[in-house]
Amino acid sequence: MKRIALFCLCAAALATNTCRSAKNDAGKLTVGVAFETLQTEYWVAGFEAIKAELAKRNIIALEAISDSDANRQLQQVQNFVTLGVDGIILVPKDAKTSIPAIRAANKAGIPIVLFNRVAERAGVDFVGVQADNFALAKGTVEFMIEQARQTGSPHKALVVLGDLGDLNAIGRRDGFEAAIENHRDIIEVVARVPSEWNQEKAQAGVVNALQAHPDISFLFTSSDFLLPSIVSALKASGKFHRIGEPGHVILGGFDGDATAWSLMQDGYLDATGVQDVYFEAEASVQALIDSLEGRDVPELIRDPGFVIHQGNMHDLADRMWGAVISRR
Amino acid sequence: MTAFAIELQDIDKRFFGVPVLRKISLSIFCGETLGLAGENGAGKSTLMNILGGNLQPDSGRLLLAGQPYRPRNPQHAAKAGIAFIHQELNLFSNLSVAENVFLTDFPTRAGIVDRRVLRRRTRELLDQAGLDLPPDTPVHRLSSGQRQLVEIAKALSLDPKVILFDEPTTSLTQREKEHLFSLIARLRSRGITLIYISHVLADLSRICDRVAVLRDGQVAGIGPMADFSHDRLITLMAGRSLDLQFPPPISAPAPEAVLEVDGLSRRGRISGIRFQLHRGEILGIAGLMGSGRTELARLLFGLDRLCAGSIRLERQPIQHLSPRQRIARGMAFLTEDRREEGLCLDGSIGENISLVAAASHTRRPLGWLRLDSLRQAVAMIRDRVRLTPTARDSQPVRTLSGGNQQKVVLAKWLLVHPRVLLLDEPARGIDVGAKHEIYNLIRQLAAGGAGILIISSEIEELTGLCDRILVLASGRLHDEIPKTAFDPERILRSAMAGAAAAAAPPNSALP
Amino acid sequence: MTQTQSTRRSVRILRRIVASEYLVLFLCLAWFAVLAPVAPGFATPRNLTNILAALLPLLVVATGQTMVLITGGIDLSVTSIIALASVAGSALVTGAGGLLDASPLAVPAGILTMLAVGAGVGLLNGTCVAILRMPPFMVTLATMMFFSGLAIWSTQSRSIHDLPPGLLLAGGNVWISAAVALTVALAAHLVLRRTLLGRWIHAAGQNPKAALVSGVPLQRTLILSYLICGLAAGVAALLITGRLETGSPVHGRSQLLDIIGAVVIGGTSLYGGRGAVAWTAGGVLFLTLIDNSLNLLSLSHFAIMMVKGAVILFAAFLDTLRSRLTTGT
Repeated sequence: MKRIALFCLCAAALATNTCRSAKNDAGKLTVGVAFETLQTEYWVAGFEAIKAELAKRNIIALEAISDSDANRQLQQVQNFVTLGVDGIILVPKDAKTSIPAIRAANKAGIPIVLFNRVAERAGVDFVGVQADNFALAKGTVEFMIEQARQTGSPHKALVVLGDLGDLNAIGRRDGFEAAIENHRDIIEVVARVPSEWNQEKAQAGVVNALQAHPDISFLFTSSDFLLPSIVSALKASGKFHRIGEPGHVILGGFDGDATAWSLMQDGYLDATGVQDVYFEAEASVQALIDSLEGRDVPELIRDPGFVIHQGNMHDLADRMWGAVISRR
Repeated sequence: MTAFAIELQDIDKRFFGVPVLRKISLSIFCGETLGLAGENGAGKSTLMNILGGNLQPDSGRLLLAGQPYRPRNPQHAAKAGIAFIHQELNLFSNLSVAENVFLTDFPTRAGIVDRRVLRRRTRELLDQAGLDLPPDTPVHRLSSGQRQLVEIAKALSLDPKVILFDEPTTSLTQREKEHLFSLIARLRSRGITLIYISHVLADLSRICDRVAVLRDGQVAGIGPMADFSHDRLITLMAGRSLDLQFPPPISAPAPEAVLEVDGLSRRGRISGIRFQLHRGEILGIAGLMGSGRTELARLLFGLDRLCAGSIRLERQPIQHLSPRQRIARGMAFLTEDRREEGLCLDGSIGENISLVAAASHTRRPLGWLRLDSLRQAVAMIRDRVRLTPTARDSQPVRTLSGGNQQKVVLAKWLLVHPRVLLLDEPARGIDVGAKHEIYNLIRQLAAGGAGILIISSEIEELTGLCDRILVLASGRLHDEIPKTAFDPERILRSAMAGAAAAAAPPNSALP
Repeated sequence: MTQTQSTRRSVRILRRIVASEYLVLFLCLAWFAVLAPVAPGFATPRNLTNILAALLPLLVVATGQTMVLITGGIDLSVTSIIALASVAGSALVTGAGGLLDASPLAVPAGILTMLAVGAGVGLLNGTCVAILRMPPFMVTLATMMFFSGLAIWSTQSRSIHDLPPGLLLAGGNVWISAAVALTVALAAHLVLRRTLLGRWIHAAGQNPKAALVSGVPLQRTLILSYLICGLAAGVAALLITGRLETGSPVHGRSQLLDIIGAVVIGGTSLYGGRGAVAWTAGGVLFLTLIDNSLNLLSLSHFAIMMVKGAVILFAAFLDTLRSRLTTGT
């Protein structure tokens, strides 16, 4: 009995110490950064860029990765709320599954920025920071079409789609279709390969499409991280050639990762639409600070991005995150 | 140099407090073949297991070629030159003959099994054992006789000085048996000391130089084989033992049958068994190990499927019913091995006692237990079987002594008021006091009108309790002995004769 | 002399705590006491509500799992049941093209579908184990793959949204969730402690041979326990779907070790025959406390996995130790 009493006493003494909050460094802001995954380079680059941006501004960053588990992400956001963070930067799982997590932040009055992926505005408030997928994809494909015109012959086209539950993937698809729309005379889309953001699926789909249409000579992928799969599929059917060589497939992508950079340097990749990760990271953090300081923040901040291609690659390399990574 | 291969001095062994060997002293000459005879449970196998390193004696001394010998395990015994050919064969049927022979000691070269040497040495050993088989043959293709010879080859691989045979012929055909005997003769001529356990007295007379008879864990007689006629052996084996008092009958059996069995058969185990069990009767089943006693009980209870025959309980045929349904009709089965099949050792006493009866203490339709009435019933039955009052209902059964555990099993069945009880070795491994109490309970149950079937290896127990005894041998009813003719010797003789007769017929052509 | 006495005494106390049924509750208290001062916000009412919300679905599945473990089996397929039940129930009633969209029957039909999927898979598992006598580990590993694959394939790995508010109510509100989960746990507790089926489940796990000889309908008992386990997973699917407002084929996917781990940490034996819902509730609480507190300490998800793995390994070791102590081997 004595022991139990002693035990309780200790517990109580310890518990009185609990009421220290997360803000142990007086005056410093704390921001929770919750990513859904770090499985592709793009997300790693984004994560690093945000942390660097926060560090630059002397803000404490709390990190959480949910490993594609929506339930865990909800718990992580709730934990941020518990910890009393000043702001949250979230990469949602998809357009809808993360709504309860956003709602939890809203309820606690903590500003929340959705990085690169945006959720539906179903009764929840957030600031979205997102590449203009539609415009950037459209611009990239239009550049590719220009290249196609210069060959003087019509082309059969293949497009690799992303996960159509992801608004980004939809935007990129729509950008592709819009660019093609005005050039039906020389571009005929013969294959639309769904990848669901999965490399194996992309590879299988492209291999099948190349088998069915061996004359495909124009290929756009909704994300650069699928490029290795696509390259191996092209190699398998003997269609992997440098720009200018006979049989070259006009190749375009989206994101601007390290693979894209090396393919571009080697002269295989015609163009890619680069998401400006550094712009997005800075805009996300700025949006949090603005809302904390009571300034108006737009609901959606567009990252215009830029199209990088053989002509401008050396000028823009410093802003292309894939190039930055591979140089490091 | 001593003339004795093995000397046992005052060996004692108890299981759960029950003495199995009592101060056994025995000396075995170098190069002789000693036969070991005795009833089931006389201690023969225990003695062999001590020699073979499977068991350790509680006290006493072993000498091997004059040197103190304390085998800690079978490997140790094998190293010392003692090989043990078991009653039930210990081969891995998925491995080849060669692999089995050298299982513990593969010939290797640079750490890799040398298959060529393995095959060559196996062939040599198989030759010695008189078995003409390719060493790569998988064991599952062999007949039981061939397996026995592989066991012997395996034993020979260790170059033994002593070989122990524990009933090696039970599963052999006549031809295989002849083969084994000629092999034994050759082993003898090589100067190997043999100890041979068997129930078949003719076999003992044929191959042994001397014979020792065990009874109740003691040596009842020993001497040159020629001095022991079969009659004398049986008298020695069966002779009165144990100071056990059996309670007198309370009432006589009623004329009407409660259980009628006819033509009961199960392939290879039981054939054409027919008998009746009467109300209030205690019917004994005697028979050697492997005679089909337990198989018969399992068939009656529905745990195994029968091939032919009928079972009627109070005139109703029940042979198609499941054990559960038979329980509902009033049947109960106290199994031979209470730890394996009788008790949930980790369950509480209360749970175990009420396991069968719980079904009748529920409220429909959810099966909600009426815990109060169940608890009362348990308390009542605990009193009746005189379970130790110090044990709480919530205590795990594992913590009880063997006798109390057996009382828990009995209590479980008594709680459902059975009309037919099958009791397989009801008093095995429990102390004398508990035995007596269980015998009393059996008497009371019979007086209450239940029909009781007792299977026991202890002939004393059967003659002390039963109204009638059936002798089972090789799955057949070999004899029926009324109470007036009870005689331990006759029962033993009958059981052994039946076994010998059944071994003889020429079913030996098939491997 | 006195020193050896006192060591002996502390060894005895330690042994009693280790052997105690409620070891895990001691551990919860200790963990709470140690981490409350360190993990910021751990002991706040808001966080305690979070902990409650997080542990409820786990409690429901682990309760079902407890039954199966007591029979001496294991059900690895519960996570796939959660996924399949979630998408099947959601697909039926979603505003985006569900069969019963806007029907007044949508909510009950959605709930019933989830429960039916759970019961159906449980029945299949139970039949394979009890009647075909297949090893539970194999059966449920195979059904886990099959039904998890089915859930992903049939939805093309897409989540299902636009669910009627009624369907989300049970999982969306912590207090309703708590009521549902406690009802399930209490019902399971009563089944195990107060009904004939409970007796049979224990006996089947303690000694199936003895149970059979004692007239326990083994096959029925096993089938029912797997069925109840599946049903509980169906209820968990309802809670998780409501909490995340989404039907998803990956719900529960990463939770298998949490589920079985919680049951084992509670003290239910992997060897069968011993277990209780109350213990499991303790195990669930402990695992959730670990997860939550380490999260608050901003430990990486993978570091938390390592800690949990270690704790579960230790619990399994204790289980082995206890069963050795009792069997005396």
